[in-house]
Amino acid sequence: MGSAPRHSRDPLEFRPKMAETSPTRPVPEPDDPPLEPDAQAYLELRQLILAPEQEALERLHQRVDDPASRTEDVGSVVAEAIQLRRKQGGDEALSVALAPTIETALRESVRKDPGTLADALFPVMGPAIRRSILETLRSFLESFNQVLDQSLSVKGMKWRLEALRTGRSFTEVALLHSLVFRVEQVFLIHKKTGLPIGHAVASAVAMQDPSLVSGMLSAIQDFVRDSFHTSPGQGINRMNLGDLDVWVEEGPYAILACVIRGIAPRDLRDRMAEALENVHREYSARLDQFDGDTAPFTRVHEELSRCLEHRYKDDSKHKSFGFVYATAAVVFLLVAGWLGWRAVQYARWERLVSTLREQPGFVVTSFGREGGRFVVRGMRDALAADPAQLINSSDVNPADGEFHWGGYYSLDDGIVEQRAKAILSPPSTAVLTVNSGVLHVSGAASANWVKELQSKALLVPGVHSVELSPELNPGRLAFNQAKTEIESAVVKFPVASAALSPSESLALRKLAEKIQSLLQAADSLHQSASLEILGHTDSTGAEAVNLNLSQRRADRVSWELGQLGVPERSLRARGVGTTNPLRTEDNEENRQFNRSATFRVSAPVP
Amino acid sequence: MLQKKVCMLGSFAVGKTSLVRQFVESIYSDVYQTTVGVKIDKKNVNVGEKETTLVLWDIYGEDDYQKMRWTYLRGASGYLLVADGTRKATLEKAVSLEERVRKEVGAIPFVLVINKSDLIRDWELDPALESQLAAQGWSILHASAKTGEGVEESFSLLTRKMLG
Repeated sequence: MGSAPRHSRDPLEFRPKMAETSPTRPVPEPDDPPLEPDAQAYLELRQLILAPEQEALERLHQRVDDPASRTEDVGSVVAEAIQLRRKQGGDEALSVALAPTIETALRESVRKDPGTLADALFPVMGPAIRRSILETLRSFLESFNQVLDQSLSVKGMKWRLEALRTGRSFTEVALLHSLVFRVEQVFLIHKKTGLPIGHAVASAVAMQDPSLVSGMLSAIQDFVRDSFHTSPGQGINRMNLGDLDVWVEEGPYAILACVIRGIAPRDLRDRMAEALENVHREYSARLDQFDGDTAPFTRVHEELSRCLEHRYKDDSKHKSFGFVYATAAVVFLLVAGWLGWRAVQYARWERLVSTLREQPGFVVTSFGREGGRFVVRGMRDALAADPAQLINSSDVNPADGEFHWGGYYSLDDGIVEQRAKAILSPPSTAVLTVNSGVLHVSGAASANWVKELQSKALLVPGVHSVELSPELNPGRLAFNQAKTEIESAVVKFPVASAALSPSESLALRKLAEKIQSLLQAADSLHQSASLEILGHTDSTGAEAVNLNLSQRRADRVSWELGQLGVPERSLRARGVGTTNPLRTEDNEENRQFNRSATFRVSAPVP
Repeated sequence: MLQKKVCMLGSFAVGKTSLVRQFVESIYSDVYQTTVGVKIDKKNVNVGEKETTLVLWDIYGEDDYQKMRWTYLRGASGYLLVADGTRKATLEKAVSLEERVRKEVGAIPFVLVINKSDLIRDWELDPALESQLAAQGWSILHASAKTGEGVEESFSLLTRKMLG
């Protein structure tokens, strides 16, 4: 509807002009040309009849023509119109129609001030992003926790190992794992004024005035931001004093500060952010307009209290520590016991080894543990004591060890003596002793054996010389042997005769050789020996006859021996008659023995 | 609970801190003022039936060594402008501070407290300037940190102005 032409001939063309003076009653201007009376009357009549409609029409015209009032009209119904449109199911078309405008509007808003939209989206974006990250992390953590839980019984032990491995103190490791902490106070502080909007405090915590603390906290935030020219939105998010931590989460209008004692888990941050977002979502407008009145923030305390978390070491952990201590004690005792037992065992084996070392015929070259067993290596003379006996008589368990003996000839006198006895097989009358490799032989022994001894003794390992006692001198032995043989010889005669039978002559020939060797032996001993020939008779007959006969029998033998080469000077013949009978004459055989000649060797005692 | 952030401004050594010392709750030492540049105290004021908690930001007065941190003024609902009656320059400084505050955070309620009313004989203030300021609508009170005179009134007046 365009505007009416201003210069129309129609009487109604006055309208715009009239509107300038009075919107309802058009009054002709004084300088307008006067109208004719009829026309005047018509006009008045028309006015009288049509005035109300005309006015209504006029108002309508005005509303339709005026953009301001048109806007007003549309504005008052636009919301209802959109709602109606939605009810009619034209939602999609409406969205399509509005989309470009809204997009442009958003773009424009971001271009002008990204903060506005960021602030508006803050309560929505945070949770969305966090939820997606949390989901990923949770699945990982769950499996991790499971592994940890499954190994609960050995957890304490693991921490100890970890402490050893990383060089950290056990307490530190245990604390890192058990995360003992307590949130003591929570402040919700209005960012702009630094005033506390809410404050929650754990029981039995000494607290300062929240207004003062909030103020100072935000002053410090400002101070740091000012001093280091950080960009807005950046500030202190953590303060640490010993075991006291202050964690700060910042939102568009308010900051949340938690005073924590101990080491809090990282997810407390998430809880803080969540609480802060909840507060922002619920009280966004009020936070923006905050004038120091905390009354409207009824739900803030509840939200803050949720951050008052705490976690103490639970009993199961104490149990696991107890278990660890008990295990450690048992292990310690077992180890100590085992070590003790090992020491005792070792001492016993050491004693055995030193016994073996002292034993003749044993050389221990090494002793020690090999693969958990005691091993003794060395050499053993075949004649040494039986090691099995020595071991059995000791207090070691033979099953715990083993022995490796190599053969050797011991030069130990005792062993050498045994060896000499074994090799030389001395007669029981002989006495063999070894002293520093010298074989001493004494006692009685045959000349033959002594002769053999002299050729064999030096072949006995360990014997380097032989020393015979004087009685075993070969010359002496030969002398003695010859003497014994000679003195036991009996030359028998027929009754009342001094004649020799052929067999006796033969025997005398052999005797003569013996006498010769006796004399030789005496010679070699540098001694003079002589032979007394005693003539005997039986007791029959007269004594004088018998004495004569006995002298003749002695002379006869002496003469025969002289004939056989025995020097006469060594011989002396003497008849003793019946005075020195060989046997008691109780039968003929014995009587025959008394009809004889016997020999007595005389030599100075050596 | 109704709380208001209130700043205390004025030249160095006009007695801002002493003015409020015996009237406020405080947990922080004066050291904060010279280090962080502000010290925070609390004052409860009853206006009518209503109790209002004033959180006082006692901001370090500008001197040759340290600039005032204007950031601390952010979010203040009002301020006490303190001058020393015995030093003319401090009132001039107060005037310039007021101008600066208006520029930084806008026109917020304030009360000019002229300290050391106990030494009124030594005052070197120009009464003309004072009345000129009063004519401009400034609320001006004389107070003494020593006797405590005018201190409570200053807080009450400011609170009333803030609560509008």
